[in-house]
Amino acid sequence: MERTKTGIKGLDEMLHGGLLPQTANLVEGAPGTGKTTLGMQFIYNGIAKYDEPGLILTFEQFPQQYYRDAMAFGWDFRKLEAEGKLKVYMTSPEVTKVDLESVGGMIETMAREMGARRVLVDSLSHFERLTSDPVELRALQYSLINGLKREGLTSILTKETSSLLGETPSDESVAFVVDSYILLRYVEIESAIRKALLVLKLRGSNHDKDIRQFEIGPNGIEIQAKFEGREGIMSGSPHRTMAESFIEAFVKR
Amino acid sequence: MNGDDFTARLMSDMDPQLLNFVKTKVNSFIKWDLIRFFYENPNTTDSAENIARYAGRNVNAVKPELEELVESGVMETRSVDDLVVYSLTADEEMRKLIDSFILACEDRHFRVKAVYHIIRGMR
Repeated sequence: MERTKTGIKGLDEMLHGGLLPQTANLVEGAPGTGKTTLGMQFIYNGIAKYDEPGLILTFEQFPQQYYRDAMAFGWDFRKLEAEGKLKVYMTSPEVTKVDLESVGGMIETMAREMGARRVLVDSLSHFERLTSDPVELRALQYSLINGLKREGLTSILTKETSSLLGETPSDESVAFVVDSYILLRYVEIESAIRKALLVLKLRGSNHDKDIRQFEIGPNGIEIQAKFEGREGIMSGSPHRTMAESFIEAFVKR
Repeated sequence: MNGDDFTARLMSDMDPQLLNFVKTKVNSFIKWDLIRFFYENPNTTDSAENIARYAGRNVNAVKPELEELVESGVMETRSVDDLVVYSLTADEEMRKLIDSFILACEDRHFRVKAVYHIIRGMR
């Protein structure tokens, strides 16, 4: 099956080749876990490695922040914009909603003119300010996702979680609407914070079930090995497995 | 020549195109902020309320300035359903002029002259 590769080493392997084309893919995590970096890397790699122009829809963070953050990884977003391969588009959820619903809207026009294949929506959480009714919110998110799919775009939608460590109360309804669901978590191990990534769902495909460590390095996100000998990673405070504890207590002496 | 005339001449010593841009298009500090904001974030399209929020100002102060920027060709407006949204003009010439203005603002002397003309225009 054809895949839309993220170009992030390790993540494509976890996704058994990449995301499925024209799907909506949720990346959820606490502030600073790397949601936007993952999304920017997906967009940048799409342009640089796979010749797939991309759009970034931002609802709060100013485009100039993306230009600056991307440049720190050596991704020249301003140059890509000048070349017509990228657009960092700032608007609000209310405008996006009516724009995508209308014929010949700005996003539709932009995507078609550029031949965009990928989009980063940063972040889906902002749609929550449009309504406090969960049923209506799900309908809004569903409409947004379908609008993006209609334009032939493979999307990464970021979503914020409030608590930094441990299980986080999540709006579960969005998980049903999206095609894949990637969780980013902080994990405390031996008085240090590490980051964990888990592919929780990939509709229509098998995927890696390991919880992997990752770091944000000079070239973006780098997926590393899984957490060996630890349990309870997603709780935020993992502990050694019984086998690991036994080895630590008796074998390593 | 009196002191005022001398100052006026000194302050008008800049590229005539930029002088005209400052006098006829920028002509207020809110417009200056908005032009800078859209220069730095050129693909922004939003309602007056949200643009005011981005600029950290009151919508009642921002909306008339946005309207004037539309009238002078710096910005464009369109209706999306029942929402009126604003974005930077797509006109290449105007965009080049905006680029020149922002780049010129890096020079302190230019900024002093621009501030002078804006204050004079507000009287």
